Amino acid sequence: MSVLIEAIGFGIALGAVIALGAVGFTVQFGISNVLNITYGALLTVAAYLGYYLLQLGWNVWVALAVTSVAMAVLSVIFNRLLLAPLSRRGTSFVGVVIVTVAAGIILQYCVVAVAGPDTVSYGQLSGSTVKFADLVFTTSQLIILAIAVVLMVALHMLLTRTQFGRAMRATSANPVVARGCGIDTDRVIDVTWLISGALCGAAGVALAISTVTFDFTLGPTFLIYMIAAAVLGGIGQPHGAMLGGMVVGVVSQVASAYSNPAYQDAYAFAVLILMLLIRPRGLFSAGTASARRLAG
Amino acid sequence: MVVLLVYLGTDLLAAWGLNLEFGVTGVVNFAYIVLVAAGAYFYSVFTLGSPAASGGFQEYILGMKLPVVVAIVASALICGVLGCLIGVTGLKRLRADYQAMVMLVISILATTIIGADTGLFDGNAGLSLVPNPLASINLATRGWYYVAMVAVVCVIGYLVLRRFTGGPIGRTLRAVREDEDAAVAVGKNIIGLRLVVQAVGGVYAGLSGALLVGVIGGWSPSSWEYVETLALLTAIIVGGLGNDGGVAIGTVIVPVLILQGVQFLPQIHSVPGLTEDLGWIILGLLTIAFVFLRPQGLIPEHRPRYGPRRRAGASAVAVAGGPAGVTLADAPVTVAGGPAPVVVSDRPAPADPDGNGSGPPRRHLAELVALRPAEAAGTANGPAGGAAAKPIITVTGMVKRYGGVHAVDGASFSIDAGRITGLIGPNGAGKSTALGLISGFLRLDGGQIEFNGRDISRLPAFRRARLGIVRTFQLPREFRALTTIENLLVAAPGQRAESLAGLVAGASLWRRDEAMLVERATGLLETFGMLHVQDERAGHLSGGQKRMLEVMRALMVSPRVLVLDEPMAGLSPALSERVEAACRELADGGLSILLVEHELRAVERLCERVVVMAQGKVISEGRMAELRTRKEVQDAYVIG
Repeated sequence: MSVLIEAIGFGIALGAVIALGAVGFTVQFGISNVLNITYGALLTVAAYLGYYLLQLGWNVWVALAVTSVAMAVLSVIFNRLLLAPLSRRGTSFVGVVIVTVAAGIILQYCVVAVAGPDTVSYGQLSGSTVKFADLVFTTSQLIILAIAVVLMVALHMLLTRTQFGRAMRATSANPVVARGCGIDTDRVIDVTWLISGALCGAAGVALAISTVTFDFTLGPTFLIYMIAAAVLGGIGQPHGAMLGGMVVGVVSQVASAYSNPAYQDAYAFAVLILMLLIRPRGLFSAGTASARRLAG
Repeated sequence: MVVLLVYLGTDLLAAWGLNLEFGVTGVVNFAYIVLVAAGAYFYSVFTLGSPAASGGFQEYILGMKLPVVVAIVASALICGVLGCLIGVTGLKRLRADYQAMVMLVISILATTIIGADTGLFDGNAGLSLVPNPLASINLATRGWYYVAMVAVVCVIGYLVLRRFTGGPIGRTLRAVREDEDAAVAVGKNIIGLRLVVQAVGGVYAGLSGALLVGVIGGWSPSSWEYVETLALLTAIIVGGLGNDGGVAIGTVIVPVLILQGVQFLPQIHSVPGLTEDLGWIILGLLTIAFVFLRPQGLIPEHRPRYGPRRRAGASAVAVAGGPAGVTLADAPVTVAGGPAPVVVSDRPAPADPDGNGSGPPRRHLAELVALRPAEAAGTANGPAGGAAAKPIITVTGMVKRYGGVHAVDGASFSIDAGRITGLIGPNGAGKSTALGLISGFLRLDGGQIEFNGRDISRLPAFRRARLGIVRTFQLPREFRALTTIENLLVAAPGQRAESLAGLVAGASLWRRDEAMLVERATGLLETFGMLHVQDERAGHLSGGQKRMLEVMRALMVSPRVLVLDEPMAGLSPALSERVEAACRELADGGLSILLVEHELRAVERLCERVVVMAQGKVISEGRMAELRTRKEVQDAYVIG
């Protein structure tokens, strides 16, 4: 029994990190309609950026915030330079995926070239533990959880309660018509990538905190967890991605607690493949326009 | 050097296999490297002895010590089966980028599982001491024999590959790549074709893996990470999607020169492995550069020309007068040198309302369409009578729901044999849905569809097309990268070149069939005044030409029931008349047509019986002139 509870605790902590990244991924995919595999490499870049800031003696949460801002800017530049021109040329979906995979590989090997292939660590973060019933969390885990929840709620409000959010959803459903209605779709897309990049930065640092040691393969592995969470929750739904992140986190931790831990990743990946093949619109909702489109 | 050449050969096999899948057929298989890996693993465990015999330092299944030739063939075949299995995931029609994602994840999942498990193929440590297939030859010369062996396999591989990528079957596969729905509409079994392609691609992957592991002697998960598929894809993109020769050049450049070549660069600083990283970075940059600057690759896909040198005017007429010899007797397509590309039939179609005009042109079009004699005979008495026409398709209580909306709500009507039946109604009446249900593109939620007394409600769309129920699309869906005439050729039913026999026997079996098809296609192009664009890529045609192409392609299937979805929408009056004239001629020749059209005057001229739908139900039917006076029809149009 204690094994189960412990695993659930680990799962929730991991789930919060996954959710953080998944929310960023799902918003960007849902609105700009680009499947961005480079997101994984960007997570790695964020983790290393945080690592170097820590080396400078910064506080880890300040480093997280600064990384987040830096990645937000980087993310907008990435889209403007690479992906926006592709969509103007009418490159096929597969073409775009190939480009994002290639960009991810370039970034990943640049990281290796700069930082080397060895594993690095943020070191043990000081802080007390908090107990809820039988679940034990470190303060850093709780802070990550809180950040994830707050950002998720804020994004959900933005999308559903504000005029700008409506413009974002309109852009998602049909960018050409949205432009015709006077929506500045370029600005909408920029903001989307800004938000997604910020979340990516935060998630990258959070990942580095929670995995303790990491190397250049950090991002791509966890990207799959995040995609699984985003698909589970329905693409374009921040609250869905949040819930999806929790499900993926808990399921993979519980499953690996009761079997060979080497298979931990395999469970998450298998869940994703099954979801995509059986219910690509997500478990919890009808999904967004892009989620509906892809099924037909 | 020897190893490098073997790399080239095995990469070539793999790149060709993937090009057949992705470049030619458009199957998104980002897990291709898994198949190469499977080939290597299976070859290894087939040739290795039992694990215990080699000291038990590695753990694996089988260990059968099979003869090498058997092992290579068996691994290739197993990979063919695996290729099919991976192909099954593609049956769920996801958007292409989602498919790519599924494949990437499958690839990573496979590496994770094989790497974690110690029982199957020795986990992350991998297999080693794999026997070289030429172990009996002395070590000094063995390498070159190996290169020769790989070269022979590559040459055979290339020749076999050409059977798939060249000729009519290659054309059909490319049509599947360009537009799956349109391929189904002309009766192609796209699921079957894709599975065959993935099986063949799998065999190539398996051969590649087996030959590779034979020379390097070991295989582990680090040899086949998902990025290796990207290396192959880059080779294809650089060389030219869908072009076997281009892909060969791409393979020399990408996996060989770049990924292997960097090893010969001096090591930079003291960082080990940096130059290999550099290889991947260059590869990534190359991919992006090509997608941006030259998406068609170094050597673009080449399409055969059928006409002589394309000069507007006289030359086109010359072709028509040549082997085909089919012209509309009273409406010769006079492209006569002038710049005007299209000349309307000089027999104004509406001026011949009773359909009793002179015979020859009708017979010609009927011949071109290859109307089936039984149908033609059944209505030989001519259409003017209007006496009870036999229904060829009967629809009873047809229902289609989208969520809570009943798009078609218990509609019943019939399509007359050898006549043009109109289907009209206000927007949202369910006409297009009804058409999708009849042609099999949508699944019935209730009711029944009978074709010549046979229940076809459950037949898949491509089977209905093969029976002769052929639809066109409201928005033209041409096979963009194929030429105009190829768009027609691909649609011909029952091509022997697409059969197993055609693949085995090669061109000798189908050359004559093909010549006859070209003749038919040329005749159709001429009738519709499009001979001058026969070698133009269909993607470059104008809106009106694409619409005509849509109709011609459907005719090329030799339909028994032609289902036209607003064929005249957006056509100029001249082209519109040409379509109208063709419809009339075809009906006179015995073809049954269901015409969905908003241009009611054309419907009135063409159709004896018109079915009116509104809100998913049939509200009226009869002659157009009568319908105009009926209150329910007026109400539907005014209110609906």
